[in-house]
Amino acid sequence: MRTLPSWVITLLSMAVVLAIWIGITSGGLVRDLFLPGPLDLWDGFMELVQDGYKGRPLLEHVGMSLFRVIAGFLTGAAAGTLLGLGMGYSPRINALAAPFIEFLRPLPQLAYLVLLIIWLGIGETSKVTMLFLAALPVSAIAARDGVANVPPERVSVALALGASRWQVFRYVIIPSALPEILVGARLAAGIVYGTLIAAEIIAGSNGIGWMILDAGRFLRSDYVFAGIGMIGITGILIDRLLLLIERRVVHWAGR
Amino acid sequence: MPNGLITRRAALAGTAAASVALATRRGWAAAPATVNIGFFTETKPTMIAKGEGWFEAGAGGKLNWTEMGSGADINTAITAGSCDIGLATGSAATAAGIAQGLPFKLIGMVDNIGPAEEMTVRTAANIKTPADFRGKKVATPFGSTSHFRLLGFLKTNGLTQRDVTVLDMKAAAIVAAWSRGEIDAAYVWAPAKSKILADGGAVFPTYEALDKAGYVIADLVVVRDGFAKQYPEAVTGFLKAYGRALTMYQQKPDDSAVLVAKQAGVTPAVALADMKEYDFVSLKDQASDAWLGGTAANPGKLAHVLKGTADFLVEQKSIKSAPAVDAFQKAIDTGYLTKALA
Repeated sequence: MRTLPSWVITLLSMAVVLAIWIGITSGGLVRDLFLPGPLDLWDGFMELVQDGYKGRPLLEHVGMSLFRVIAGFLTGAAAGTLLGLGMGYSPRINALAAPFIEFLRPLPQLAYLVLLIIWLGIGETSKVTMLFLAALPVSAIAARDGVANVPPERVSVALALGASRWQVFRYVIIPSALPEILVGARLAAGIVYGTLIAAEIIAGSNGIGWMILDAGRFLRSDYVFAGIGMIGITGILIDRLLLLIERRVVHWAGR
Repeated sequence: MPNGLITRRAALAGTAAASVALATRRGWAAAPATVNIGFFTETKPTMIAKGEGWFEAGAGGKLNWTEMGSGADINTAITAGSCDIGLATGSAATAAGIAQGLPFKLIGMVDNIGPAEEMTVRTAANIKTPADFRGKKVATPFGSTSHFRLLGFLKTNGLTQRDVTVLDMKAAAIVAAWSRGEIDAAYVWAPAKSKILADGGAVFPTYEALDKAGYVIADLVVVRDGFAKQYPEAVTGFLKAYGRALTMYQQKPDDSAVLVAKQAGVTPAVALADMKEYDFVSLKDQASDAWLGGTAANPGKLAHVLKGTADFLVEQKSIKSAPAVDAFQKAIDTGYLTKALA
């Protein structure tokens, strides 16, 4: 058993879950309203692929959701990282921004849903802004902590060798903080994905998050599970992509 | 389809039998300790019976009131066993629930919605005929009775969701988006409806034509099967309490409005104006085949309405399939109404 490669263990665990799933659904132990069987789920998924959902093709729903997630994540992570670098570098900037960042971070997005609609309307702006606000604090705090954790000797050595403040920032602080910034980015991506359904409550009629919500109203569990599957799988893909970038950019981290 | 609820039902029946046995041994009446009510804060006579404690006295146990987001939420909560009575749940959600074989019975109605839910158009959008809706944005809470009416309006006028942008928004969000001028029309109920009407809106009448075309919508009372079997007296008492509130509203509308307003957090004038839009059908009329009454062989009006609603929801792919009309009549139990009237 000790020699089992980890991918075999992963496959085994998936097979066991699938077997339990088939076992409890095929025997009629639970109704398909509570848990659709694998075949029901597949039929539901194929229906979505062929006919779309509520007048829109499935690809449009997936595409709109991905667009929102990527736009909210990129803008939120970029702005958050810049702000966090500044906060880590300058105690004054930190004193200015920290209360707002700390306040925003634990706030549930649904709390300001109606405010976003009043301020920004029901179009893409309010949806992307909600995702932006979800990504921003996480990225800012990761970048700030990354800067704070730069060993002071490195900075002193660079200064002693005659580097300017900008050179220290550019060639010492940023590379040292980069691993934490990228870990923060992956965290932010996860949070943005988690906020997607809340964002798509705003005047929906497209998006996977909205589809799950709408199908759940009438207990169309097959569509709900299909939607959850698609969010889960694209979520893993995005995370893997970020991990790949992390490994290439900061290949030295952790060594 | 194999019914997986059998085990759950058996368990419930077991618990019920055990507690009844316990009750008789100790000499208690078989009244529920607590009753979970799913409801909406609304300007309706239900709020009189709630505020004056008539519902509680009628049910004979402590009432645990939970405000629900929609009728669909009531379906889900009943299925999960955490809601015993759904008060004023919409006919669209109820039709879906019956089609899906959810464990509840339809036992009465709160009102026939009539013009209380209606299309409101922005005066500036210059919408005069159904064809003027082309290219416009119309908002409604999806899955609601208003949504059902709106889709019926589009269908009966040869419009599709490609011609008109239909947006899924909660009532509060509709008011917010309306104030920014982002939607041209909305199909919704009070208080959102009154707010947008006051903010540059006008009524675009649709309900009479839709009622004639079979798109009747109503607010209903449903009870979880397990609860009804265990505490039939409580269910009857609950309906009786609503009957008392209806009588009071008919005899003293102004006094009623004061009580309703206090519960709903509006002024008595608003409460009275809101209530005038609804058709509060008396318990006696509810029991006739103009509404709930009827037999499986000869179903009444409401069974046909629910069947039509469910067929429409199948067309919309909101639910997978709908049974024949007799299944809807079988999901209606007028026994409690009859006892409440006796």
